Amino acid sequence: MARSDDLAQIIIGCKNGDAQCFSQVVDMYATRCYGYFYRLTGNNDVSDELLSELFVKLVEKIRSYKGGSFESWLFKIATNIFHDHLRSKQRRKKLLEVRQEQLESDLTEPKQSDDNGQIDQLQIRLGKLDAETQELIMLRFYSQLSFKEIAKMRSEPIGTTLAKLHRGLKKLRELMEG
Amino acid sequence: MDGRDQENLIELFEEFFDAEQAQNCLENIQRAERILREHPAPEPDDMLIANIKAEMAMRLRPRRASVFRRMVYRAAAVAAAVIILTAISVKLFENGVEPAAFQRASLLPSAIWESDDIATDDVNLAIFTAEIEQIENEVLTLQSGEDSSHGDGTIVELEVELIEISSDFWKG
Repeated sequence: MARSDDLAQIIIGCKNGDAQCFSQVVDMYATRCYGYFYRLTGNNDVSDELLSELFVKLVEKIRSYKGGSFESWLFKIATNIFHDHLRSKQRRKKLLEVRQEQLESDLTEPKQSDDNGQIDQLQIRLGKLDAETQELIMLRFYSQLSFKEIAKMRSEPIGTTLAKLHRGLKKLRELMEG
Repeated sequence: MDGRDQENLIELFEEFFDAEQAQNCLENIQRAERILREHPAPEPDDMLIANIKAEMAMRLRPRRASVFRRMVYRAAAVAAAVIILTAISVKLFENGVEPAAFQRASLLPSAIWESDDIATDDVNLAIFTAEIEQIENEVLTLQSGEDSSHGDGTIVELEVELIEISSDFWKG
């Protein structure tokens, strides 16, 4: 991972419209952001779309980044994109009631991993957690933000974030080990 | 610092739980995070990354063009403002044209302004001023309709007085 000084230089380059600097940001964060989207949607195609949308938004919004944790800022955008996706999915569900079951399963059903075709056990277990807990766990794991930063991003007391995350991770551990 | 590297989880948990519970929470979180690391999510493929970079570069071009266009518009606005100001300045000061306020002096006889006899000039000015005030009062009376009995005769009288004053001016 780039040092904070290097990252600051890259971000200045991005603000000046340097394509090379944007490319570096993609290299630095694409894997983590993709993991975040994939674990929340369980779908490669949707994750591809959301990742593309995230980096296009980055180009549009980079001038509004006023310092502070870049990860926090980036994952806030990622979270908003995911929420927009959920909302549009809800709209689609209403319009296409016949396909409701199938659309719901997109979020919860496990997908086969790309390499050897084995079922991703973690994805199955994650599907048993509620949506908010899943999101919180993935945010903590992929954004690498501290509890304090996550609480600030979610505008909630740190004790609340801590309790929710601990409960969720404990449940996930039980599901995976049980 | 608020960053994750500086985060002391046990201290954080001890703010909300007793020591034993805090230790328990820490173990749960560390174990769960190890599980997440052991089950990595798939990575985005190279083609997707290349497409994203190309899309970003494409979006950057119009932005750069619009920045250039904005700069050109700004420069044009500044240039227009400078040209207008220059034109106004030249119009005001070219050929030593005096501001309109000084032109009123030409109504008074030039002899008064060129004379060195201040005492006589003061008397003349006092007379002219009194006459002007009188005429103004009469005009106001006429306008308000208070002196309607005199009618056209008053207006003729006023005109005669104005002609007299005017000729007095030019005589000095």
